[in-house]
Amino acid sequence: MRRGGLRRLARRKSTVAFLLTLPLIVLIAALVIYPAFYSIYLSMLNKTLERLVGLDNFRFLFTRDTFWMVVKQSCIFAITAVLFKALIGFCVAHFVHNVPAKGQRKWRGMLLIPWVIPPAMSTLGWFWLFDPSYSAFNWLFVRIGLPAVTWLGDPLWARFSVILVNVWYGAPFFLIMYLAALKSVPEQLYEAAAIDGANWWQKIWYVTLPMMRNIIAITVLFSLIVTFANFDIVRILTAGGPIDQTHVFATWAFLQGIEGGDLALGASVSLFMFPILAVAAIFILRDINRRGNEAS
Amino acid sequence: MAAIAPTAGTARSARARSLKHDRRRALYWSYFFLVLFAVFFLTPPIYMLITSLKSSAEVGAITNPWWVYNPTLDNYKALLTSVEYLTFFRNSAIVSLVVVVVTMLISIPAAFALARMKFWGSATLATGVFLTYLIPETLLFIPLFKIFAWANETFDVSLMNHWWLLIIVYPTLTVPFCTWIMIGYFASIPKELDEAALIDGAGYLQILTKIFIPVALPGIIAAMIFAFTVSWADFLYPMAFTTSADQMVLPAGIVTTLIKGDVYAWGQIMGACLLGAMPPLLIYAFLMDYYIAGLTAGATKG
Amino acid sequence: MSRRPFTRRRFLGTTAAASAATIGFPYIRTSHAAGSLALGFWDHWVPGANDTLTKLCQDWGKKEKVDVKIDYITSQGNKNMLTITAESQARSGHDILAHPAWYALTYARQLEPLDDVMNPLIKQYGKVATAAEFLCKSGGKWIAVPAVTGTQVKPPCARLDLFKQHAGIDILSMYPVNKAPTKEADNWTWETMVVAAEKLKKAGSPIGLGIGQTTDSIDWVGAMFHSFGADLVDAKGHANVKTDAVKQVLDYSKRLVAAMPPDVFAWDDASNNKYLISGQGSMIMNPPSAYAVAKRDNPKVAAQCYTFEMPKGVKGRYAPFLPFLWALWGFSKNKSAGKSLLAHLLQRENVEKLVNASIGYDIPSFESMRDFKVWQQVEPPQGAVYHYPPRGTEEAWMACAPAPASIAQQMYTQSIMTKMIAKYTQGGEPMDKVLGWAASELEGYQRS
Repeated sequence: MRRGGLRRLARRKSTVAFLLTLPLIVLIAALVIYPAFYSIYLSMLNKTLERLVGLDNFRFLFTRDTFWMVVKQSCIFAITAVLFKALIGFCVAHFVHNVPAKGQRKWRGMLLIPWVIPPAMSTLGWFWLFDPSYSAFNWLFVRIGLPAVTWLGDPLWARFSVILVNVWYGAPFFLIMYLAALKSVPEQLYEAAAIDGANWWQKIWYVTLPMMRNIIAITVLFSLIVTFANFDIVRILTAGGPIDQTHVFATWAFLQGIEGGDLALGASVSLFMFPILAVAAIFILRDINRRGNEAS
Repeated sequence: MAAIAPTAGTARSARARSLKHDRRRALYWSYFFLVLFAVFFLTPPIYMLITSLKSSAEVGAITNPWWVYNPTLDNYKALLTSVEYLTFFRNSAIVSLVVVVVTMLISIPAAFALARMKFWGSATLATGVFLTYLIPETLLFIPLFKIFAWANETFDVSLMNHWWLLIIVYPTLTVPFCTWIMIGYFASIPKELDEAALIDGAGYLQILTKIFIPVALPGIIAAMIFAFTVSWADFLYPMAFTTSADQMVLPAGIVTTLIKGDVYAWGQIMGACLLGAMPPLLIYAFLMDYYIAGLTAGATKG
Repeated sequence: MSRRPFTRRRFLGTTAAASAATIGFPYIRTSHAAGSLALGFWDHWVPGANDTLTKLCQDWGKKEKVDVKIDYITSQGNKNMLTITAESQARSGHDILAHPAWYALTYARQLEPLDDVMNPLIKQYGKVATAAEFLCKSGGKWIAVPAVTGTQVKPPCARLDLFKQHAGIDILSMYPVNKAPTKEADNWTWETMVVAAEKLKKAGSPIGLGIGQTTDSIDWVGAMFHSFGADLVDAKGHANVKTDAVKQVLDYSKRLVAAMPPDVFAWDDASNNKYLISGQGSMIMNPPSAYAVAKRDNPKVAAQCYTFEMPKGVKGRYAPFLPFLWALWGFSKNKSAGKSLLAHLLQRENVEKLVNASIGYDIPSFESMRDFKVWQQVEPPQGAVYHYPPRGTEEAWMACAPAPASIAQQMYTQSIMTKMIAKYTQGGEPMDKVLGWAASELEGYQRS
């Protein structure tokens, strides 16, 4: 009797659980997993999408200098941007943490603004600030005796500009996450460190950083994923130019697939984001598993 | 003993004084850098505001770009009386709100099941959901066209170029992350709570609605804000899936209708962007604390 | 074909055979094109030009009992290309779309043949510009018709005052107001232009020709390459990169770049307009939209802006041509109505209405229609756009022609020619390396 009841309960439990997750499974399977596999299939077709060519598209990509340039630039773009986002977020979080609690909300709200404006819109503002004929930055530069900068015209400056805008947009997110983490570090730890005669640097190194390790890892990984797949900022600011120097995977795939009318090649380029993201995934997986173990 | 005590006392007070001094110096430096970063963070929006108050003749003139000589609200008037722009706003609002609801309807039950009801494959599924977050939308939109073609030919429903299509595709961007946040949040609720309820004879659905949802409200609000922000801001999907001006949402609409090829109406574009940023700005202004609490709790649990 | 029943009363008596016959000749008023049509036209840059097209279509729709829905799709950010690709994959969307230059050929297999629209029109109005015909025809069949709205050339638009004062060139003596070019126009060559550019740079008002990766840049550079005889790919698809002509055009561009603002490499289709309107620039190459906006925002500058022919090269004088095409999807459910509308829009009186509405921006592809009055009437200055449409003394040239479409489209969207210039000048790469890079790129475009 008792065993039967238990079994029925278990059966009911798993049925309920399955039903609860069913919408999620359907959504993900139909609109993410299936299209993802379809794009693998696409990447193995020829340009006119009429016959299978196996891995020829990838083989072709490997012979293209521009492709390797895009790989390099995507990495430079993502890593530099995330690094600076984390760094700025970390520093500014400390500054906000230092001021009296009364003013913190105000500062936090103000500094969060870049992250709240949809990037497609704020990037247009930056685009206008960088405009060749009307750049408001250049107007200031010329006034104080500096040469005008070709923000989006010179390959190096253009790379700098797209990263700058990405950092501007993403840093506030790091800021609020780190600020919340800072607040959760017990004050006694700092007091103990102070009594031991630790200077501010040692406090950061031995107290703050270990306490924030988890959140730093998670924010950096998340941001890496999003930045790596970034489309709108680069697309609106430079569309990849000058001379392809600012292309990242997403924008180059768009150029090849949509503008160049070669969907198969575009899909192949997009797929290249996978291996790199998979590395990020492994780290995140480890983290999730650890979290799962702690929770149970 | 007596000799040592005063020395220790003065040393302590000296240290306290220097600590206080240090604190004050740190405070000044903090303010200094905060102002510096505030300038960096706020320059673009402020410049957008300045530009939006200029007539197009003033935008085109070579004068001090940081100053408005003849302020005018014409750009805002034009926007707020333009049927097109108001339609973008309405579409954005409906799409984002419905997506928030849909996302919650999908991710709350799923997160509950994955966090509390261990079943066959639940761990794999939890990981899998998270991994879908890694698949970029640039990879998905072309295959999605194929699915639409299939739907068109099989059911004779044309999905392309309708704003409501975004309600179907946006959850793919919001659900994985929201589910993940909620799993974390639900996992932090003490097990004793639902075990007690189970023993009292409550069903799983009751536990979810009576215990988990009220307790996890901050996390749910954070997830809702996330879903709203993502659907309000997405750019690629509306660009790819909608074309008619009356079907567009804000970001795509501004880029495609206000920018007339080689003739930019900069005053209007900047005004449109600022107005378009208002709803998320207001939400953050009022709900920021929930958002931060929910996000950090969900993401850093463990 | 429309699946809806024919409703018009006066057809009750006609037989099915008779109505089938009328479908062969779409532009016959009595062809009953009931149902609905979704149209995606190019979003015009000249303020107000869209309205005239809307009215033409709506009036036609009322008469033919067709429910017409029009979308204006911008080419900014290449949204129009995204729409074309999307609809070709989703096999739904609009019935008629405006395709930029090479697109119709790329999607030729999915487009409805339009011989029955074009052949009667050609009989009526004569020859279509060669470049437009090349882009509209696939396998001997018309798969698109040359559009009126958006079809443009991009000749120089210069400041009369600055050219006279600083470069000593009187543009009006070469291209007089509302009259054919004079003998002096023979001296208007690429060499003359670069010398003038150097003088204007010294005077602080450099000319500004974009060398970016959008159409304005690609089109004029394409025309320049061709007038130097530097076609990178011939009609059979063979690449000819390492030729003297290519080297000459690159060396020439080095001199030209030195006389222009340093950021021309990042210019998009709007940058040159802003440059002219702001009063900084002495010349750009663009259709009259820049002039139209200057008239609104900076009339003093506009009163000195004069559009005239391209400079001549050793192989001739070529106007940068960017045709738009109207094409009907094969999946359209109302093809007869679509054809009928296209034929209607290309009637001379309607073309003239559209050209007038665009203040002469749109170039009719039928060469017999380049005599409209509007090009004499736009002012100030007098004759501002009279020399804008090519009239025999220069030929309209599509950048990347005569390469086969699949290669040309890649050359165009990857903007290989402007990148060659950028690498050679801004990037400072040696000639051999630039040519080697271009050859390898072209090899990559041969994919099928």
